Amino acid sequence: MIRAENVTKIFGSDPESAIPLLEQNKTKDEIRELTGQTVGVNQASFDIQRGEVFAIMGLSGCGKSTLIRCINRIIEPTAGRIFFKHPERGEQDITELDEEQLRALRKQHMSMVFQHFALLPHRSVLSNVGYGLEIQGRGRKDRQDTAQRVLDMVGLGPWGQSYPAELSGGMQQRVGLARALATEAEVLLMDEPFSALDPLIKVDMQQELTRIQRELQRTILFITHDLDEAMRIGDHIAIMEEGRIVQIGSPEQILVNPRTEYVAKFVEHADPTGVITAGTIALPLDSEEFVPSGERDGIVYRHRHDQPQIRYGQDREGQLREVLVDGQAVPLRRLEETLGEDAVRPVPSERSRVVLTCGEDAVLRHILRSRLYSTLPVIVTNGDGRLRGLIDDPELINGILEKRGHIP
Amino acid sequence: MGELVEFLRTVMNDPFGFLDLPVRQVITDIVNWIVATFRDFSRAYISPPVRGVMNGVQWALSSVPPGLFLLATFIVGWWAASWRVGVFGLIAFALIGFMGVWDQMIITLSLVVTAVFFSVLIGLPLGILSSRSDRFYTILRPVLDIMQTTPPFVYLVPAVMLFSIGNVPGLIATIVFAMPPMIRLTNLGIRSVNAEFIEAEVAFGSTRRQILWKIQFPLAMPTIMAGLNQTIMLSLSMVVIAAIIGAGGLGLEVYAGLERLNIGQAFVGGIGIVLLAMVLDRVTQGLGEKAPGVRHRAE
Repeated sequence: MIRAENVTKIFGSDPESAIPLLEQNKTKDEIRELTGQTVGVNQASFDIQRGEVFAIMGLSGCGKSTLIRCINRIIEPTAGRIFFKHPERGEQDITELDEEQLRALRKQHMSMVFQHFALLPHRSVLSNVGYGLEIQGRGRKDRQDTAQRVLDMVGLGPWGQSYPAELSGGMQQRVGLARALATEAEVLLMDEPFSALDPLIKVDMQQELTRIQRELQRTILFITHDLDEAMRIGDHIAIMEEGRIVQIGSPEQILVNPRTEYVAKFVEHADPTGVITAGTIALPLDSEEFVPSGERDGIVYRHRHDQPQIRYGQDREGQLREVLVDGQAVPLRRLEETLGEDAVRPVPSERSRVVLTCGEDAVLRHILRSRLYSTLPVIVTNGDGRLRGLIDDPELINGILEKRGHIP
Repeated sequence: MGELVEFLRTVMNDPFGFLDLPVRQVITDIVNWIVATFRDFSRAYISPPVRGVMNGVQWALSSVPPGLFLLATFIVGWWAASWRVGVFGLIAFALIGFMGVWDQMIITLSLVVTAVFFSVLIGLPLGILSSRSDRFYTILRPVLDIMQTTPPFVYLVPAVMLFSIGNVPGLIATIVFAMPPMIRLTNLGIRSVNAEFIEAEVAFGSTRRQILWKIQFPLAMPTIMAGLNQTIMLSLSMVVIAAIIGAGGLGLEVYAGLERLNIGQAFVGGIGIVLLAMVLDRVTQGLGEKAPGVRHRAE
């Protein structure tokens, strides 16, 4: 939907002079010393798919706010190209649009949400939400109806006649979100939309956004300085440092496999339990912990000598058929079924009499909770029910504490 | 050696003897030229509209029966500010009437309204233009400085030469003196609208013109109203000076009182001006606080 190629922004009197230096991999400080120019964004490239939330994460001053403003050219990029997949006209290079075309793009296809809301204080909530429609030249009645509908969607239906100053921060940002949604732009640029909100409201708003996004499937570019927020909301995350994108990946990829020292430092304090999945931490079947059982395509998890031996029986297609603990067949249960149940303190002996199975995409938090029901290793199967690996205590502990898995 | 000492002595004692800047003559020539060139133009094209507006306003104000006028003052004061201001306006105007200078007050009020009308008519667009172009404001600023700091007495004579005696030259002098705050505060108000709002509206595809009329102008309204207030106050402060060249009203009362050493008459005129000024000030301040842009300061 949006593809950026080496987008660069340099602030100063002679921005062009710094471009060759960037290509020589000079740092921000070196360039300031040599040319007096300030590097805002340094050759950022990424590709955002339709309908995904792409989070850009970095500390203040890393250039993330500058980068998002380069996308709709509120800030003019110094170099690089930005492609937008126009619904009718196909791919167009935003950096080559003239002023008229650029305004049309902003009116119809890209809207924006701001950190400090930027609602017009002299207009009612409804009129604020309708602002984009007003600029589109839509009629008064149409504007009000659409604005009211979007306002209902963000849960502020009855507040249309109020003024922004009468609303709390969280409510104001709902209005900001509604204003951006109202124009029906395919692309939403969100510049730290929840950073100015209280922690509890912030989580509310993240859930609200996730809910609305499930319904509307817009393409969202989301800026944040909060890694947990980026992980909760983003389908992909780009991490920025000193104007440069240092890593792009899914939340899990970034957590499990931070590419630089800088990313690793961020990841250190992130909460992995909602991000890391079973597929990543599962002990694979080719590990030394497994030995063939010799009969009927079975496989034996050796665990330790003083503990029960667990044998997994597979049929010819690799489908899991049965699990035997010390020769005794044990019932299988889907991990998902246990999630709705109250977590009680089960009788210890019962916990060794059931085996839970889960898909590769089950998150760490749920697997952890499943230990209340079973102390036996959790079986991970892939989409078509084949045995993929299993998760025992070492895998869980490594996953949580070290954010490491067996499969990179 | 002796010559050098002599030279230095001359320089120290009278360094200005070397050059005689003929400023007096040059200015006189310039003004004479301006008067000769523009007199017909200004009498044909500037005087009539100014006089027309003045006469119209004066006719309208004087045709209101004073009792009704007092009632209207109360209502306007109440609506614009508060009932206190309404009552204050009622009492102030009644006092003016009881002092016997009602008709003079109507003339002065007409002068002020006319001067303010033209100040806004010219000042508002110039203020907006100043806020949109740094270059324009750089050029305009020294002109505004000159308009505000030149003692009005200096340009009274050329005004009379251009517009002859009467209300018109007084009004022109008043407009020159009272317009700068309108321009300056319009410019300031528009420029100080938070960049965040403007950025947000640019992001939604607004044009510069839409941003000006939908955001900057309404949000600048409280500052513009402060400019209007200043313009009104300055035009009131000019009414005495304008009386010197034939403008009537309370200013003439003061001027005539001074000339005849009739202290009482001068004071009556003066008190009338002060009361009128206070009422106009409270009412326009009240209007300023009702302006739409005030809301964002309410937090």
